[in-house]
Amino acid sequence: MQLTINGKEHTVEDGAEKLLLWVLRDELGYTGTRFGCGAGICGSCTVHVDGVATRSCITPLAAVEGKQIRTIEGLSGENGLHPVQQAFIDQQVPQCGWCMSGQIMTAAAFLEANPTASEEEIVNAMGNNYCRCGCYVRIKAAVQEAGLEMASRQEVLV
Amino acid sequence: MSKKSSEDLSKRSNASNSEKQRPRWRPTRRGFLIGLGVLGGGLAIGVPLGLPTLRLTAARFLDNASSPGPSDTDPFAWFEVTPESRLRLYIAKVEMGQGIHTALAQIGAEELGLPVADLEVVQASTHTGPNDTFGTAGSSSVSGVYDALRQAAATLRQLLQDEAAVALSAAPVDLTIQRTGFVVTGQPEKAIEFAPLVARKSTWELPDELPPVKAVADFQVIGTSAPRLDIPAKVTGQAAYGYDMRMDGMLYGAVARPPRIEAKLTSAAEGTALSVPGVKQVVIKDDFVGVVATSRAAARQGVNALALTWDEGKAWQQAEIDALVAIGDGGGVRVQKEGNAGRALAGGATVTAEYFTPLAAHTSMEPPAALAHVTPEKVTVWASVQAQSSTQSDVAEALGVEADTVEVIPTFLGGGFGRKSFSEPGREAAILSQAAGAPVHVGWDRTEDLRHGFFRPPVRNQLSALLDASGKIEAIQHKQASGDVLFAFFPAAAAAVLGADFGAWRGSTIHYGGIANRETLAWRASVPVRTASWRGLGLLPNAFAVETFMDELAHSAGQDPLAFRLAHLGEDEGDRRMAAVLQAAADKAGWGTPLPEGRARGIACCTDVDTKVAQVAEVSVEDGRIRVHKITAAMDCGLVINPDGAAAQVQGNVMWGVGSALIESVTIQDGAVVAGNFDGYPLLTMRESPDVEVILLDAGDGRPRGVGEPAIGPVAPAIGNAVFALTGQRLRRLPFQLA
Repeated sequence: MQLTINGKEHTVEDGAEKLLLWVLRDELGYTGTRFGCGAGICGSCTVHVDGVATRSCITPLAAVEGKQIRTIEGLSGENGLHPVQQAFIDQQVPQCGWCMSGQIMTAAAFLEANPTASEEEIVNAMGNNYCRCGCYVRIKAAVQEAGLEMASRQEVLV
Repeated sequence: MSKKSSEDLSKRSNASNSEKQRPRWRPTRRGFLIGLGVLGGGLAIGVPLGLPTLRLTAARFLDNASSPGPSDTDPFAWFEVTPESRLRLYIAKVEMGQGIHTALAQIGAEELGLPVADLEVVQASTHTGPNDTFGTAGSSSVSGVYDALRQAAATLRQLLQDEAAVALSAAPVDLTIQRTGFVVTGQPEKAIEFAPLVARKSTWELPDELPPVKAVADFQVIGTSAPRLDIPAKVTGQAAYGYDMRMDGMLYGAVARPPRIEAKLTSAAEGTALSVPGVKQVVIKDDFVGVVATSRAAARQGVNALALTWDEGKAWQQAEIDALVAIGDGGGVRVQKEGNAGRALAGGATVTAEYFTPLAAHTSMEPPAALAHVTPEKVTVWASVQAQSSTQSDVAEALGVEADTVEVIPTFLGGGFGRKSFSEPGREAAILSQAAGAPVHVGWDRTEDLRHGFFRPPVRNQLSALLDASGKIEAIQHKQASGDVLFAFFPAAAAAVLGADFGAWRGSTIHYGGIANRETLAWRASVPVRTASWRGLGLLPNAFAVETFMDELAHSAGQDPLAFRLAHLGEDEGDRRMAAVLQAAADKAGWGTPLPEGRARGIACCTDVDTKVAQVAEVSVEDGRIRVHKITAAMDCGLVINPDGAAAQVQGNVMWGVGSALIESVTIQDGAVVAGNFDGYPLLTMRESPDVEVILLDAGDGRPRGVGEPAIGPVAPAIGNAVFALTGQRLRRLPFQLA
């Protein structure tokens, strides 16, 4: 089966029961996508599938064939870090960091669709991602900061 | 942190051989000199890079009760000069998000006179860098190594600078230290790099007097919010944790788990495991049964296909376990006695109350995980673990090999919180790797983490107090019963001698110096579920009880809870610092000023590792549920190394406290943990999380105290006290449930 990950083609063995998370981590070495629960609850494993934030721990491999998969390793581009990543550094957000790939991928997909989100919309968008270290105050601040940056970039493009 | 290969074992052996000649360690010039000689010689043999390598050693001061250090024969090796002329700082403390690598690098950089960015910061393993038999726990990392690290850095700086002065025919005072060497100030052509500088001498001796360390007023790096060194790798996915460790030829392991908390394996056979595609091997060793396979899924399927029989043990129910956490009629261990509270209360108490805190889980976002590679000569374990030294001995015992042939390399930890004081996967992966003759990775899933680890113990507290006619507390008695915390790490004999588990009663003593008669008694409860360290140990349950009771007393006395607390503090320095944090939190939160309809405030404080914390919670009740809007926290942890890092720890502790106050408890039913994933053990999310305002105060004596846990103490009582102020309901059991 062919998978397109961060723009790169990978051939992996087909398997009806295989889940995207473990193919990414154990077969292909994209360990930046983290395992937290295996039940689609905590959000640590969030990747983008055709731009949509998706919980890879409950996503069968067959569901992503032919689609564009983006992981945290592919979020930064030629111009450097994604604005969400930069904001997470600026706000010194991560503590242990294990949930952060999922937080950042969730925020990036959300802000790409809605950079001018209100605080309430941000809380709703980020409210299904666990952070056991309790970095919520800073995650919210960083997502707000990244939204401002992304909105200003979109204005430039317009 | 990468999967770098471990260092040559010859270095270790050399150091071990010299052990006998090493006198008992003292943090003196003699200690430094000897440490330097032994390790310097050892490294000259062990490092195959052609350059003698200088290492300095220093000792942890052993008189710091909050940080029981390594044995006093262990030298600390902090620094290395690399062949590339970089100064490398080895840090034995593990980075689990508390920012310890950055904080310790700041301390080292300060005395070297360099920016943090000029140091290479390396996680030490059991075979590299400073020995650390204690592990990373107890909010003790900065306070425990502060003096030793500063002295080591200052001494390294002076040794190098003096020799550079000789090399450059200049006075030491005319030299400037730079990233890779010294330069004569104002004459950039007159410079020498660290590596050739170190190569000038084969033996380095310390000056007769150790160089002075900087005065606090001269600090340029300590006290600044230096950006965390580990954060860039954590936003790009590059940071490597125990679960991420990979090696060529690596296989995956899974281990059979008991169906109940008391179940014992009675027979084990392969069953049909070997016919599961991908399964390579079944390993049965005493009560350990594991499977090695080419994928995690195959290993787990293999475990499910084993033929196992169990003596399942008793079908415990939660209420039966809670009933075991009992305060006896006698036999408690007295852990505090000021005056004579027992006599004062003999005629009856004015107020009595009982509190209860249930089992809770850690649920670090990264479940426990490790990679082990066992060869006939050497064992290497990469583990997400807070205690590399005890993991080393656990693995050695499990494999039947000498401990010094086992190198444990801590990775980044995806959360620790006391849970990773053990590395079960390290031991399991090592057993499987030894049997399979290949590297094996074991990563627990969330169900294993919730059902087969250990928990915060259940805790029961009874408090009684006598108020005089003016509402002043004449006497207060605290009786506390808890499942084991630190006794889980001790041999049974040691626990019997100690009597009361000082982890369990942490935070239980009545800290108000203005109360003449104070007594605290602790009972050890034997419960059938495994309990041990959880963030703050006994601090959260005990501070919840004591500080809720103080609020009850204030109301009984008809006094403002803030004024009541201040009135019962004493005159010593510690109580003055407590008064300051109480007042600072209250002022910032607008204590006593009107709030919108439907909101109320509560206040609480605690002392832990000599850090003082006070918090004001602002709450409302919406649709019958408690909503915490804001926590205003003031903390005096003495000298602050990194203010932003300290604030982050307060913010995190607040979320832990809110989670415990509103949501978290583990339930045993029919002998097993009910929750098997986050659907059964939900965590706090951004939706329920409060705003947090942090105020840092400084005792002003130049001493750092602990930061990683103290702020967990006041959260639940501040919330409960606010709910009482709002509703009149007194909440004495965690997590809170409104009537």
